[in-house]
Amino acid sequence: MRWRAVTCAALAATAVVCSAIAAAAPAPPPPAPPPPVSSSEASFRSVRSYADVAEPVRLRIPALGVDSPLTHLGLAPDRSIEVPSDYNTAGWFDGGPRPGQPGPAVILGHVDSKAGPAVFYRLSRLPEGAEVFVDRADGSTIDFRARSTQHVAKTAFPTDLVYAPTLEPSLRLVTCGGHFDHTKSSYTDNVIVYAEP
Amino acid sequence: MPGGPLSTTAGQSPADVALQLEALLGQHSVLVADMMRSRIRNDADFAQAASTAVTRNTDDLTAVVKAMFGDQAAAAFRGTWSDHTTAFFNYARGLAAGDNAAREDARAQLVKFESGLGDFFAGASQGRLAPDAARSALTAHVDHLLRQADEYAARDYVRAADDYRTAYSHAFGIGQTLAATLLPPEQSAPLNQPSWRLRSELDRLLGEHIALAVATLRAGATDSPDFPAAAANLDKNTDELTAAMGTLFGPAAGQQFMTLWADHIDALVGYTTAVAGNDGAGRQAALDKLRGFEGKLAAFLATATGSRIPPAELASAFLHHDQMLTQQVDAMASKDYAKAHELAYGAYQDMFGLAKQLSVAFGDTVAARLPQGGAETGAGGAAPR
Repeated sequence: MRWRAVTCAALAATAVVCSAIAAAAPAPPPPAPPPPVSSSEASFRSVRSYADVAEPVRLRIPALGVDSPLTHLGLAPDRSIEVPSDYNTAGWFDGGPRPGQPGPAVILGHVDSKAGPAVFYRLSRLPEGAEVFVDRADGSTIDFRARSTQHVAKTAFPTDLVYAPTLEPSLRLVTCGGHFDHTKSSYTDNVIVYAEP
Repeated sequence: MPGGPLSTTAGQSPADVALQLEALLGQHSVLVADMMRSRIRNDADFAQAASTAVTRNTDDLTAVVKAMFGDQAAAAFRGTWSDHTTAFFNYARGLAAGDNAAREDARAQLVKFESGLGDFFAGASQGRLAPDAARSALTAHVDHLLRQADEYAARDYVRAADDYRTAYSHAFGIGQTLAATLLPPEQSAPLNQPSWRLRSELDRLLGEHIALAVATLRAGATDSPDFPAAAANLDKNTDELTAAMGTLFGPAAGQQFMTLWADHIDALVGYTTAVAGNDGAGRQAALDKLRGFEGKLAAFLATATGSRIPPAELASAFLHHDQMLTQQVDAMASKDYAKAHELAYGAYQDMFGLAKQLSVAFGDTVAARLPQGGAETGAGGAAPR
């Protein structure tokens, strides 16, 4: 750019003059001391204590009369999910989030046994909006509300929707439903209740 | 207004554009709040640079609207959106001058513009977004931004910081709602999948990290009295990011991440303090700490994800992130506010590429340990039908 070239040339000429003045001038004053830095900035330390969420120990669903301690569930050797050994006790999948942590916490319970109804016998009839309480080991309780219920064939179980990580705290309650195949002693479907805080 | 399927550029799906909309709306909230605060402080040079950043964000939002609905709709959107950002500035000007009539006039203008924007988005959604819901969400957006300005002017920095963060999350949430309703169902469906929801939430958290870190570092660079409140706000974001890491990789990993992340923030604040105090040795020490952090966090994430992301690539991304933040501190210190805003804008946008990469790696890592198939939770054949 022409204007810029002319200006730079003028500045270069000025610099020569300035250098000459600088050589003859007295020594510059010592540099000013640094400005004071506020104590709040100098003493700041970022938060460092990880606030863990306590493990769930009890499930309560007043609308269904459910009040059950929670056992821990993991993976079976065939990578299916373990189920509670006691038909009247619900279990929490401890490979996923704890209730109240970001992401979907999953609690399973049996619908029935050969002896009769089990802990989640009436889960498929849980009304939308019903409260679900999870008590935790530190004495705290988190309150969820049932938002929807889904009946799905076990062969098309929505693993992603039930287990896959999101960062929104939520709860899934899972049991069996649908047709009972007496030859396999197994239901064809699962019932999944989706609940949110 | 045409509302058919979105045509996108190569490599960018409609869901990608939807996430861009979320990010830009969150950024809009932060930039407008910064602009209002600078006007309240009567900091004309900073206000000018902040206003330019708001305009850049409006340009980017308009480009997204254009991609979704075409030129005519984009022009209509831009007009009302620009008027709405101007009204925020006028409100802050009234606040700074103690001119209540000007404030009320700006507030009335904002209510009118939000109503128009609500109708615009409801119309664009072709019935998927109720006009009342859209207007209500946008009115809440105005309330958050005006409230944080009132609190900032009253030097109630704790409440102002709280509402600054609420305004960001809420605006990001408006983006999530718009993303889900503006696109036709076949194009918005991926947004409901856990992998996309994870990415959207990481976008929100990492974008917020940049916004709050920049606010904290600027307050530190200028020795502003709102530094403690800004830093406490940044801590809340750190808590939330750590909770995410804890739920994905376990409590021990959560604590390990938090220690590294805290080291990173402390080094950034240390750098800012050193620059503000002309402390060359302190500045270099902080840079050395940042270089150490970048390698350690990259190694941590590579281990947590089973090497799904190469550590060298991650370390390079974190180096770039830290350089943009420290350079914007330098720019603030030399009162080059245009450069400071340009760097902060770029740092915010960069987070979304990182969030995309992390969400894929995190999702795949967790998926590998999830149960397969349904649950055998019944044995009697007497389940209710």
